[in-house]
Amino acid sequence: MKFPLVCSLSLVLFSTASLGSDWPHWRGPNRNGTSTETGWNSQWSGEPKVAWKATVGLGFSSIVVSKGRACTAGHAEGQDTVFCFDAVSGNELWKHSYPAELGDKYYEGGTTGTPTFDGDRVYWLSRWGDLFCFEAGTGKIVWSKNIVKETDAKVPQWGFTGAPLVHEKLLVLNAGEAGMAVDKATGAIVWKSANKDDAGYSTPLPIKRGNAWIALLGSEKSYLAVDIASGKEIWRHRWLTQYGVNAADPVVNGDQVFISSGYGKGGALLKLGDGQPVETWKTKALRTQLNPAVLFDGHLYGPDGDTTRTESLKCIEFATGTEKWAEPGFGTGGVIVADRKLIALNAAGELMIAPASPTEFKPIARAQVLGGKCWTAPVLANGIIYCRNSRGEIAAVDVRSK
Amino acid sequence: MNLPRRSFVRTAALGTLALSAAPFIRAQAPGKKLTTALIGSGWWGKNILKEAASSGRCKFVALADVDATTLEVAAEQVNDLTGDTPKPYRDYRELLAKEKPDIVIIATPDHWHALNTIDSLKAGAHVFLEKPTGHTVNESRAIVQAAKTTDRIVQVGLHRRIGPHHVSGMDFLKSGAVGEVGMVRLFAHGGGGKESPSRNEAPPEGMDWNFWCGPAPLRPFNKKLHPGGWRHFLDFANGNLGDWGVHWLDQVLWWNGGEYPKRVFCTGGRPVMGAAILTETEQTSDTPDHQVATYDFEKFTCVWEHRRFAENNNEKHKIGAYFYGSKGVLHIGWRDGWTFYPSSKSGKTEHQDSQLQEPDGHNLTLLWADFMDSIDQRRQPVAAIEAAHRSSVLPLLGMISWRLHRSIEWDGAKEQIVGDVEANKLLARPYRAPWEYPTI
Repeated sequence: MKFPLVCSLSLVLFSTASLGSDWPHWRGPNRNGTSTETGWNSQWSGEPKVAWKATVGLGFSSIVVSKGRACTAGHAEGQDTVFCFDAVSGNELWKHSYPAELGDKYYEGGTTGTPTFDGDRVYWLSRWGDLFCFEAGTGKIVWSKNIVKETDAKVPQWGFTGAPLVHEKLLVLNAGEAGMAVDKATGAIVWKSANKDDAGYSTPLPIKRGNAWIALLGSEKSYLAVDIASGKEIWRHRWLTQYGVNAADPVVNGDQVFISSGYGKGGALLKLGDGQPVETWKTKALRTQLNPAVLFDGHLYGPDGDTTRTESLKCIEFATGTEKWAEPGFGTGGVIVADRKLIALNAAGELMIAPASPTEFKPIARAQVLGGKCWTAPVLANGIIYCRNSRGEIAAVDVRSK
Repeated sequence: MNLPRRSFVRTAALGTLALSAAPFIRAQAPGKKLTTALIGSGWWGKNILKEAASSGRCKFVALADVDATTLEVAAEQVNDLTGDTPKPYRDYRELLAKEKPDIVIIATPDHWHALNTIDSLKAGAHVFLEKPTGHTVNESRAIVQAAKTTDRIVQVGLHRRIGPHHVSGMDFLKSGAVGEVGMVRLFAHGGGGKESPSRNEAPPEGMDWNFWCGPAPLRPFNKKLHPGGWRHFLDFANGNLGDWGVHWLDQVLWWNGGEYPKRVFCTGGRPVMGAAILTETEQTSDTPDHQVATYDFEKFTCVWEHRRFAENNNEKHKIGAYFYGSKGVLHIGWRDGWTFYPSSKSGKTEHQDSQLQEPDGHNLTLLWADFMDSIDQRRQPVAAIEAAHRSSVLPLLGMISWRLHRSIEWDGAKEQIVGDVEANKLLARPYRAPWEYPTI
């Protein structure tokens, strides 16, 4: 049981280093659903203050925050719109709309991807392959294109969903069966993969193996790894689900990778080596259909089950896959970890703060911040917890210390 | 032709109907598991599979699907649920020949139902067949005949014949509490809007698309069709009337003892979704975005309507059946159970909640148990093929009237359309070679 110690130590080191923190891309600064932010108010009494509210349209796009700006997207009346707000006041700074289908296949439709901040740029990939590079300050289009029209990439059943990953000069996309990369400055295609299988729905996750950076991707029929610089496939671990939905990002700890999908599939811990990864254990206890689990202190915390079933928030041990607790009725919500606490938004819009503990789930604060359906994980940045529902209502919950 | 009267089903349910024991050669003593196979291993097929698995009365020996990935996923699920290791088959005919299962579950798209079912019956299996029974009337008739010839049981997936609130709602209706029923209105409304075409693609790796299309015309693969979207393509199904319509029309025939209407008239179109598109490069669905079908019965008028746009909460019930009687209105619905609204001001509103299996809101557990009991007890099941056939014919007649833009007169005894050669041709369809339309 070496790794939990290493993990918690590193968190302690990080947490002493900073108080506030941006959340510039999907899954936050560490790309794993954790934030190093400390000192935020986790024990409000009564209702927490809501700094601002906005409505961005139908969808499940998460919020990203960088340099005082908050960016997300939604769909209304035949158009997707990418919005940029002042992160603290909620004043609308800019927006950009373009024609898009609703895409209401087995759900209400709307945007599913998440924008990515990179310095003074914002990148956005739509469900239907529209790829934009905006100036973060003005919303001016630096370049744009449609990757489906330009390449032979197939649109997966529910459209492209993974956020663009910025890695050095590249923008890595979960498009094609094993990803695609474009030059982030120009949008020119640098490499692409075959299209026998469809893309999955996760966001490319970079990890360093030896001297090379590789990206982990959920594809239609597998989780796989590609060399970011060249696009060369490193390994592919077959992982079938009923509708080819591998959506939850892998959760990485050193050479161990937890993968998990819904539709009754379950999860597995893979050990990476020189060749194909090897399954250490498999479990049906944690089946993350949409939002991935978060690893903290040797335990995974995440929603188990499908959107159509009553889900539980669960805690399982990373080393063994053993279930520690289950909180029923959570639904297809999401969870992140900051300052040793879970920040959980359940599918019904209730925000809960609870110590991240394998012993029990015991919220120390809770508030009904939204109604409707919340399938989007909350986001913490600089003392504000950003929540949204499927109708596109955003509640920026102010938890800055007094 | 013997009519499947309600009394038949009722009597049968009491177990007093003596069927010949001899043909049930593979019916086992209670307690012994029946070997079971599934043809069509997608979402709904697996829903039925789960029922069979949890009943503890079946041993899964084989699965068939034209898509290798679907097969692999389904096999894994069977293994998770039962520990059985079913053999995968791409071609259901090979499965039937090699495995000779006691039970076959059929959950393929409508255009495959007849061949799958008839071949399974001929191979000696009892069949659990998804609704509607056929894609065209004469396919359904051929299934009825094959069930008779082979003396096998066919249970059809009309679970609303056994769902608790349907049973109690039907009892309430038959008790006379609604009075003399003069009109029935059936409906299923949902949301939607204009449909844009999607790009055709190469079929998924490992899928035999030619086999999937089977007896229907071959067309380019498109994600709108598979998985799940085929119900809205006329080559493979009959839209909302064939899907939802059969459930609610079945409630009417359950109530009236299976008597056919005399005339049928149906209109509809795609004014909101837009004209259907099918080119080499792209396609849309092609079933109507709304339809109204009038079924003129001897003693009452029955109207079906569906709409796939303008969804709102202005109507109390969005799905179900209204029985309008001299004493009030009975609504039998889905998740909203049944409710009686009396006409007289002194009358009492009565209501019963639904008792469904979620998330998909059905009563398959009960329907599967009835199927297994019917095999054990050598009786007809609640949604036996003859009754289910007649309920399936009604949407199909609606579709014929809709295609021809004229009303059709139905001779229920002969199962023929009166005085209309063109309409009678539509009781069948041409099959794509090498598949042959089943003979009656």
